[in-house]
Amino acid sequence: MARAVTTKTKAINTAIAWTIAILIFFPILWTILTSFKTEGTAIADPPVFLFFDWTLDNYATVQERSNYFRHFMNSVVISVGSTVIGLIIAIPAAWAMAFVPGRQTKNVLMWMLSTKMLPPVGVLVPLYLIFRDWGLLDTRIGLIIVLTLINLPIIVWMLYTYFREIPNDILEAARMDGATLRSEVIYVLLPMAVPGIASTLLLNIILAWNEAFWTLNLTAANAAPLTAFIASYSSPEGLFYAKLSAASTMAIAPILIMGWFSQKQLVRGLTFGAVK
Amino acid sequence: MATQHSRAAARIMIAPSVVLLLAWMLIPLGMTLYFSFLRYNLLMPGNNPFVGFENYAYFVTDPAFQAAIVNTLLLVGGILLITVVGGIGLAVLLDQPMWGTGIVRIMVISPFFVMPTVSALVWKNMFMNPVNGLFAYIADVLGMQPFDFLTQAPLASIIGIVSWQWLPFATLILLTAMQSLDSEQLEAAEMDGASAWSRFYHIKLPHLSRAITVVILIQTIFLLSIFAEILVTTNGGPGTASTNLTYLVYAESLLRFDVGTGSAGGVIAIILANIVAIFLMRMIGKNLDA
Repeated sequence: MARAVTTKTKAINTAIAWTIAILIFFPILWTILTSFKTEGTAIADPPVFLFFDWTLDNYATVQERSNYFRHFMNSVVISVGSTVIGLIIAIPAAWAMAFVPGRQTKNVLMWMLSTKMLPPVGVLVPLYLIFRDWGLLDTRIGLIIVLTLINLPIIVWMLYTYFREIPNDILEAARMDGATLRSEVIYVLLPMAVPGIASTLLLNIILAWNEAFWTLNLTAANAAPLTAFIASYSSPEGLFYAKLSAASTMAIAPILIMGWFSQKQLVRGLTFGAVK
Repeated sequence: MATQHSRAAARIMIAPSVVLLLAWMLIPLGMTLYFSFLRYNLLMPGNNPFVGFENYAYFVTDPAFQAAIVNTLLLVGGILLITVVGGIGLAVLLDQPMWGTGIVRIMVISPFFVMPTVSALVWKNMFMNPVNGLFAYIADVLGMQPFDFLTQAPLASIIGIVSWQWLPFATLILLTAMQSLDSEQLEAAEMDGASAWSRFYHIKLPHLSRAITVVILIQTIFLLSIFAEILVTTNGGPGTASTNLTYLVYAESLLRFDVGTGSAGGVIAIILANIVAIFLMRMIGKNLDA
């Protein structure tokens, strides 16, 4: 039952909320706008907001000078790769814990979570040395391994909270109707599990895409995903705001859009089901 | 309905995850612990003798360590204060009826999806730069001297940047919790003549307390490990003005190649994080029983 709200109150709320929201969003908006300016316009005094000659040159320049596409593909391969491998490992585990819980299930879940609490810097040295000795430094496969492992607890947990909500009654009903295990899995369980798996996939790609500790420490020119590539703009030469903005816009755009669609899942995934 | 057979199958299904995580945890952790007791520098090849707690003593008595601990606490504390207070305010605001809720929400949560290196560089160059940044322009218009944020107030500037990234997280979680509040309770209070403030203080805030705790604990885990933002803005400087524990360990290990000391620092970082983790795990564990 909605409370009666006067139009005036609603108008005031709207004004305040929009003002704050635009302020919060402004750095992103400014970055996107700057990416379409020339370097001269980007630092114009006074700053120009919308009325400038829009150009796509920066995007072309960024690609030409630094092979941007390569780093973009590194990000795609590493985030999607680590997520898919993580799901393959985690789905059976989460499935078993949700549908055949044993006495140890809760302990196992809590222990998995505790591995996520390990500060990455605590294992930086050995991992760096292992990577160096095994020739994994600056390789995509090395990063895929690390990101799979650091996000595995989150994947298992998220899947578990989704699977646990699938009512057992439906499974039993299917069994009563004479469904075989195979058809039970394919026609009953899988359709109900798909939304949960998709949400987990989405959230985990976002997390892996933005991961910036291991990507910065374990890659160089070759396998650097966008997080590490963008960091190379921290010691600039000459005018570069527009180019930085173009590189940044391309780096955040795909994930921003995915993020907008995964607000709900984000809450569940990052609080380990403690807030839904 | 679990049979002997299905239990065995369940174990096999869980095994890969457990084995991988166990290896991921024990092997590097064991190595860190082992290295922390050796004199081991990558620039000085030798036989890496066992030196007991020498590395710990060296790391802990280094003035940079005290600075790093203070900076870590200021970073975590400052960001928590801003994001939790701001998050509560925004959650209350966004829970009100208004036009365009969807778009407002999207704008507010967006910073969370911006990768750390991008947000740090955008703030550093396009906003905080004392010559070409927007803040310098605004100061100029207002007749003030431009302020060199990252040199004169490096830690506060980083607190600002990271708060911008995490405010959406706090807001989103608190808003989700807020929306599970029974609106009839609020209506009843309103009919009894409770003011907006007392409705907030006596009904909404207690309802949010759980979610607030979760936000604080989870953010603390992540904030203890802030790294990329420091690396691309200040490199921990000037001096050690913006060096946190994570950055200090990184500097010891990968800039000075002192594996022994870096490992000792890593062990200390693990102990600190575990103190927080214990509380967080208790909360989540309770929820699991519910």
